[in-house]
Amino acid sequence: MILLDLLIPIAHAQEAATASSGGIASLGLNVKFFIAQLINFAILLLIFWKWILPNVTKALQARTERIEKSLMDADRIEKEKREFETWQKNEMTKARQEASAIVTSAQTEAGKAKQAILDQTKLDQQKLIDQAKSQIESEKNRSISEAKGELANLITSATEKILRQKLDKNSDQELIKESLSNIK
Amino acid sequence: MLSLPPLAAESLFHIGSFPITNSYVNSTLGVLAFAVFAFFLNRSAKKYYAFGAPKGLVNFFESILEFVLGYIDSVTKDRKKTMKFLPLVGGMFFFILFSNWIGLLPGTGSIGINRAGEFLPLLRPANTDLNMTLAMAVFAVIASHILGIAAIGFFKYANKFIKLGDLYTAAKSLNPVKMLVAFIEFFVGLIEVFSEIAKMVSLSLRLFGNIFAGEVLLTVLASLISGYGAFLIPLPFMLLELIVGIVQATVFAMLTLVYLSIATSEIHGHAEEGHEKIEVSEVEAI
Repeated sequence: MILLDLLIPIAHAQEAATASSGGIASLGLNVKFFIAQLINFAILLLIFWKWILPNVTKALQARTERIEKSLMDADRIEKEKREFETWQKNEMTKARQEASAIVTSAQTEAGKAKQAILDQTKLDQQKLIDQAKSQIESEKNRSISEAKGELANLITSATEKILRQKLDKNSDQELIKESLSNIK
Repeated sequence: MLSLPPLAAESLFHIGSFPITNSYVNSTLGVLAFAVFAFFLNRSAKKYYAFGAPKGLVNFFESILEFVLGYIDSVTKDRKKTMKFLPLVGGMFFFILFSNWIGLLPGTGSIGINRAGEFLPLLRPANTDLNMTLAMAVFAVIASHILGIAAIGFFKYANKFIKLGDLYTAAKSLNPVKMLVAFIEFFVGLIEVFSEIAKMVSLSLRLFGNIFAGEVLLTVLASLISGYGAFLIPLPFMLLELIVGIVQATVFAMLTLVYLSIATSEIHGHAEEGHEKIEVSEVEAI
């Protein structure tokens, strides 16, 4: 009953609203109004298209392009960084290997050089020793021969003195002693 | 006695012989609002884009526009097409939304003049006038045909409706099955012509019906109880109308977008055509 009480006035009101006309006209369709609304809508779209959108869409487009470019650049930089890191790693490994080879080779060369120098030194040393020995020997021989010569001269001079003088036994002894002291 | 809004918009005054209706006042207000918004938006854009970082009104509009662009992208799958359809689809969406929501503001339907004992509201939501919704529907459908012809060429586009080319090819093949299929398709094509009219009728009546029904509902609810109750009871329904407003704006814009997408794409086969029709019917079901 309450529902009916509510619905009946609504129905009456609706009837009153549509009673004046029927069909399409009751919906308010009118060519003049239609064209007026169409023009209004066209103006509105024109404002939206030509005045509202351009600045914002241009800025959005530019920003999108900038972001896309930045992302592409970031990808490229990341790729280049990875490539550089790989290259750096390889180069470092290569450099370490080369350095190690150089050190090993230097050590070997140094060992060889050291051995050669030692051998040469030994040879030189032996040569010097031999030279010194032969020099000493020749000096010794020369000294002995000189001493022999000197002794012979002394003996000769002593003999001469003995022969020239009449020598007594004491003088003779003294002369021999003197000659011997000269030898020392 | 309960006074419901009439189906037709009421004439307020005349400019020459042309009568100005209350819904026309609302749609003109919409146009002015767009113009004012455009003015402030461009001023704000000039101020902020020079520094590269948008703020305030520009930032707000950009965020909404990006959402709308994403939505259109999901249908077109092509940013170029999206940018081509944006002025029509976006403009339509924002205008319908603005008109629907402005109708919920106090004053619409309640402030008016008395003429010969009859109350005439000064403002009436633009979409409660069938002339307005029909104008938008006609505009959308005609725009879809114009863009379709521009995209795929007149003869290919015309072949979607008048399939004389298929009929000729089938007749040349002398294959009775092919000829029968082509003959049937020729008549299906002719039916497509009527479906274009149906598009306009369905688009306009759906929007008009939903928004007008909302107005009637709010009027009835406000009239149920006298006193403070008349202010409180319609409140939940006004919230519902806010949702209806955005849903109807979305449906109208989406359907227009689907029509534009179909019109600007070439026919590759019956299967794809059928798929597109299913998409349209899904949106129409809302």
